[in-house]
Amino acid sequence: MTPIDLTVNGERRTVPVGDDDLLLDVLRELGHTSVREGCGVGACGACTVLADGHSVSSCLARAVRYDGVAITTADGLPTDDDVVEEFVAARAMQCGYCIPGFVLMGHELLAENPDATAAEIDAHLEGNICRCGTYLEIRTALQNVVARRRHDDMARRRHDDMAKESA
Amino acid sequence: MTATLHRPRDLGAALDLLADAGDPMVYGGGTAVQILLKQGVLFASDLVDIAGVPGLADLAATPGGLRAGTMVTLRRMETDPLVQDRAPLLAQVYGRVANPRVRNTASVGGNIAHGDYRLDPPTALLVLDARIELSSSAGPRHVPIREFFTGFQETAVRRGEMVTAIDVPTQPLGGAAFTKLSSLAANDWPAASAAVLVTASATGGREVRIGLGALAPTPVYVAVPVPADASADDAVDAALAAAEPLIDPLPDVRGGVAHKRRLGRVAVADATRAAWADTPRDTPREEVPDDRRLTLRRLRRRH
Amino acid sequence: MTVDSHSGVSAVGTDGGAVGERWARVDARAKVRGELRYAADEALRSCLDVVVTRSTRPHAVIESIDATRATQVDGVVDVVTGAELHAILGDAIFTGPAFADQPCLAVGKVRYVGEPVAAVIARGHAAARAGAEEVAVDYRELEPIHDVDAAVLGAPFVHDELRPSVVFGDLAHLHGIRDTNVNYEYVLRHGEPAAPPPGSTTVQHEFWCPPTHHVPIELPFTAAWRDGERLEILSTTQTPSYVRQSVADLLGIPLGKVRVRSAPLGGSFGAKMYDRLEPLAAALAWTRRTAVRIAVTREEAFLLTTRHGAAVTGSMTADADGTIVAADADVRYDTGAYADVGPRITAKSGMVASGPYKIAQAHVRSRCVYTNKPSAGPFRGFGVPQVTWSHESLVDELARVRGEDPAAFRRRNLLREGDVSVVGTPMHSADFVGCLDAVTAALDWDSPIERPTGRYRRGRGVAVGIKAVLTPTISNAVLQLNQDASATLLISTVDMGQGSDTIMAQIAAESLCLPEGSVRVVTADTDVTPYDTITAGSRSTYHSGNAVRKAADAMRDKLIDIAAARFGVPATDVKLTGDGLVSTQTQETASIPELLHGHFGARGTTLTSEAEFRTQWQPYDKQTGRSPQVTEHWFAGAAAAQLTVDTMTGRVHVEHLAIAGDVGRAINPALVEQQLTGAAVMGLGHALFDQMVFDEGQIVNGTLLDYQLPSIHDVPDKITPIVVENPHRTGPYGAKGVGETTIIPLAPAIANAVRDAVGIRFTRLPLTSERILDALSEEDS
Ligand SMILES: Cc1cc2nc3c(=O)[nH]c(=O)nc-3n(C[C@H](O)[C@H](O)[C@H](O)COP(=O)(O)OP(=O)(O)OC[C@H]3O[C@@H](n4cnc5c(N)ncnc54)[C@H](O)[C@@H]3O)c2cc1C
Ligand code: FES
Ligand code: FES
Repeated sequence: MTPIDLTVNGERRTVPVGDDDLLLDVLRELGHTSVREGCGVGACGACTVLADGHSVSSCLARAVRYDGVAITTADGLPTDDDVVEEFVAARAMQCGYCIPGFVLMGHELLAENPDATAAEIDAHLEGNICRCGTYLEIRTALQNVVARRRHDDMARRRHDDMAKESA
Repeated sequence: MTATLHRPRDLGAALDLLADAGDPMVYGGGTAVQILLKQGVLFASDLVDIAGVPGLADLAATPGGLRAGTMVTLRRMETDPLVQDRAPLLAQVYGRVANPRVRNTASVGGNIAHGDYRLDPPTALLVLDARIELSSSAGPRHVPIREFFTGFQETAVRRGEMVTAIDVPTQPLGGAAFTKLSSLAANDWPAASAAVLVTASATGGREVRIGLGALAPTPVYVAVPVPADASADDAVDAALAAAEPLIDPLPDVRGGVAHKRRLGRVAVADATRAAWADTPRDTPREEVPDDRRLTLRRLRRRH
Repeated sequence: MTVDSHSGVSAVGTDGGAVGERWARVDARAKVRGELRYAADEALRSCLDVVVTRSTRPHAVIESIDATRATQVDGVVDVVTGAELHAILGDAIFTGPAFADQPCLAVGKVRYVGEPVAAVIARGHAAARAGAEEVAVDYRELEPIHDVDAAVLGAPFVHDELRPSVVFGDLAHLHGIRDTNVNYEYVLRHGEPAAPPPGSTTVQHEFWCPPTHHVPIELPFTAAWRDGERLEILSTTQTPSYVRQSVADLLGIPLGKVRVRSAPLGGSFGAKMYDRLEPLAAALAWTRRTAVRIAVTREEAFLLTTRHGAAVTGSMTADADGTIVAADADVRYDTGAYADVGPRITAKSGMVASGPYKIAQAHVRSRCVYTNKPSAGPFRGFGVPQVTWSHESLVDELARVRGEDPAAFRRRNLLREGDVSVVGTPMHSADFVGCLDAVTAALDWDSPIERPTGRYRRGRGVAVGIKAVLTPTISNAVLQLNQDASATLLISTVDMGQGSDTIMAQIAAESLCLPEGSVRVVTADTDVTPYDTITAGSRSTYHSGNAVRKAADAMRDKLIDIAAARFGVPATDVKLTGDGLVSTQTQETASIPELLHGHFGARGTTLTSEAEFRTQWQPYDKQTGRSPQVTEHWFAGAAAAQLTVDTMTGRVHVEHLAIAGDVGRAINPALVEQQLTGAAVMGLGHALFDQMVFDEGQIVNGTLLDYQLPSIHDVPDKITPIVVENPHRTGPYGAKGVGETTIIPLAPAIANAVRDAVGIRFTRLPLTSERILDALSEEDS
């Protein structure tokens, strides 16, 4: 067992892991059951986590590799997370099993590309499987996040401008 | 029974392990190795994890192009401005591999060393004439990518060696395109893929360079000269005539030999047509300073 | 949304503000954040892990099993074989809903590649897996049989003799029959066979649907432990009540000694029902007096159950006027090595094999056939998509051969309200015409489409579907009204993504005028929640829904009685409203908290009501296969697609898919639309690429690297789900289920559109690019 320094959702801890242990199993052991095995071969996205902001299939990732890395799981997102809010509003879930993976993929995409189009959203989600067939709602949810952030941005800028003018 | 994991901190130590261990295997991004382990078909005694070796994840410009350390991720190759500018075809092709999660983890060296005949990146590396740096405790040597894939799931990597970097020449001016055809679900591995680059050849005409994936026991390459004033149809015919003899598909759930052959022809034709259409009439054959190429290419990409 | 109500049945009293509303799923946020706990997420007592060693042969006698090396693996506690369990449990080790033919570990013989042969119990999954690889099995090979049509003809036989289970009494006459692979045959004879009238047109084809897999993203999981003389199970199951009885029978202990808990399921589609991992977990926990956990990999999940591959020889005849006068279907369901619920599928699908049409003469022969493959069981649609593939292709071809519009031809021949189907049961609340009209209107069917003649060809196609709900079945509900005017609903319906927890909450809230969020549905637990036949076959909204509605109505009556006593007025003068109870005479009011506090004189009290709901049928006649009431109700659905075919690559691109289902009444239209759409996306996969490929009994594509599921890129450019509502006279608020309605006509709608685009009739699914190009090049030569 090697102790590694794992920061999960902002909480830093030292976790002893075996050389072969998968990040997936380690995170589940720590109680992050939003991380799930659906295929074990990188093809479904149910096990998605963000590692320093980048999406990773934790089913193919050895935990020892993640020493010092900041991991984000869906259950650790802030309570007012806008992606979560828009998924809820767009009814982007059926059985729900795949959904945390889509939420994290959405976070990664929109951090890199805040203006993502429908085609870009699809391209980013192509390796996530929703067997319940909730794709259209999921795409809508992410489009709504794009719009919402744009709107919030504009409002903020307007507010800043006004503040400047009145100063 | 389970392979011992080593995590060397410098290249020398990694190469020593490769030289001395019983049946060692490099652990790059691990996306392929983990699956082989799970399937019980990997019999290495030692895994040499090279993530901690300094310098292997460097991506840098070189006088003639760019150099990617073996541990540069596929996703970085897809998104880094350097690759997008100097070898846009390559960036595009890396962006079509698997899915973003695999691309975030998989490495450029592991990708080619995996040796799968269906891989996408080799198609672009072949047309760009990349050069692979292989290192062992005896020192480095260089192998042209066009000589790298030696047989079904076999590469030029020898015992005790590992890929340390890939050198990619700047993409010559001219049109380029990549066509990936899946025969089942849209996000599946390809049943046929083709990267095509149209360039000015030394004889004043053009050269159509073709890299094929999933269509033979290894990724394969061929180039064919085509007069600059040829029609698109003629260019396609020439490309097909050149590619055809190389197409030797393996049958599987994605299709039989005849089907993959058909798809192979479509991939070559579609990519050639797109690349030809994208080649400006006046593509100069002389070398131009790098910075001018960049401006040209950037301008074109914006359309 | 189309609301079409020409059935003359009016929706009954819906002023409670819940039914018909688009309430959010009760667990929406927990699902998005990943905080909902599925079975494998629960913290359990410490369990030993179980991994099984699987057969590498399709058909063989087990000569010996050597576990010596396995027991030496560090962490391995025990290795158990089928022979050992058989010695303890006797023939009770053979379980199954229709035939008691499947042992949880092979006894004497293996019948498919992947069948469990020995169970390795270990501390930790890795040790169990390592141990399982070390179990050495010596086989004597028997000749296997892989092809369903070869198996129909005779030897080799997968089972020496048939063993009907006690669950379905009507199979008892099959007991002990030997020398056959056909374990069940359903025959439908309607009308007198006659020579085709002059001027008539007949089309005939051989159809094939391959086996497919459900692939719910959540993998199956079962844990079991002994609690003194009781056995407790936590499992991913759609059928907790069935599992409880099955396990009690297996162990030879009273029903009351078995507790089965389910959990929200991460999808199932039929994969997680009847006997899956539960018998093995139960047998090991019970006989070894320990706690065990079985978590399978995706690769193993492919071996647990499949959808029946089916061959159909079908023909259909229309007279000179374009009336369908005769239909024949010979259906062979490949049920694999164990029957599971195959015989039921064979009968229920056989009944509708000639489609939702008025036909003077119909003949169906539907057989359930053993082969040496993983067992096939229930799958969304319950065998009906396979026969629909046949009848909707035939009808379409018949129309085209006659030179008639396929929608108009169907429209003329479809069954209408009150019409009696070929099986003898009348139609009610099954508006096929309404569904057909809705989907064709969505595609603007009557205006011509642009038909390019180059590489890409465009076409449109339509199909309708009919299915009978599982009958007879039983549902129960217990409702607890809490003093704070919230309610707790105890039912054994399992929410697996269809949203039953939300729908049942809405039904309960309706009678009691409760607001959104006030009804909590308890997860199925046989110690707590009452018997329910199964959560499957789109039956829950109707059956559990009716039980819930009755329980809620009983609760309302109780409240009214208590209020009447309090107000000193007759019960008929008391009304329940959103604000509580009010006397129409005195205008006196009392909120529910006030009323209950007054009634019990204590705080924190609850009021309880309960109800049962049962459906009746008349068994079909053994000779004719007909019955005046073969089912409680019918499902009606339709799909229409506009697509292009790339004649160079053979790829199909769906531009617009319209789907409709008559749901009686939509309790929650948003959830209905999601079910219609989700089933259509799955159906699209079945149409184009989703299939299990076998080679000599070995699965070739049993990982998600190779098995093909629709991704976001495969979704049509546009999907239009349409809710058609013809309230059912006995449905809760007129409602029926919807989970399968649009998967049924999906594949033929796609194939009919491909036929329209390129002029070729495809009879084998799926329509892969290879099949399409092969056919196109054959056409050329
Ligand atoms: C779901 C899924 C879908 C995929 N789809 C596609 C696709 O569409 N197109 C495509 O092209 N690929 C696809 N792939 C394959 C993917 O590209 C490879 O798995 C990946 O590139 C391997 O890189 P890696 O760094 O993870 O290699 P590793 O797993 O680390 O190694 C792979 C092999 O290379 C060897 N190796 C690694 N690094 C070195 C080195 N420096 N020197 C010598 N040998 C080395 C290893 O020993 C091993 O034999 C898919 C993979 C998955 C999981
Ligand atoms: S479980 Fe990791 S991608 Fe499917
Ligand atoms: S919601 Fe069920 S798999 Fe996506």
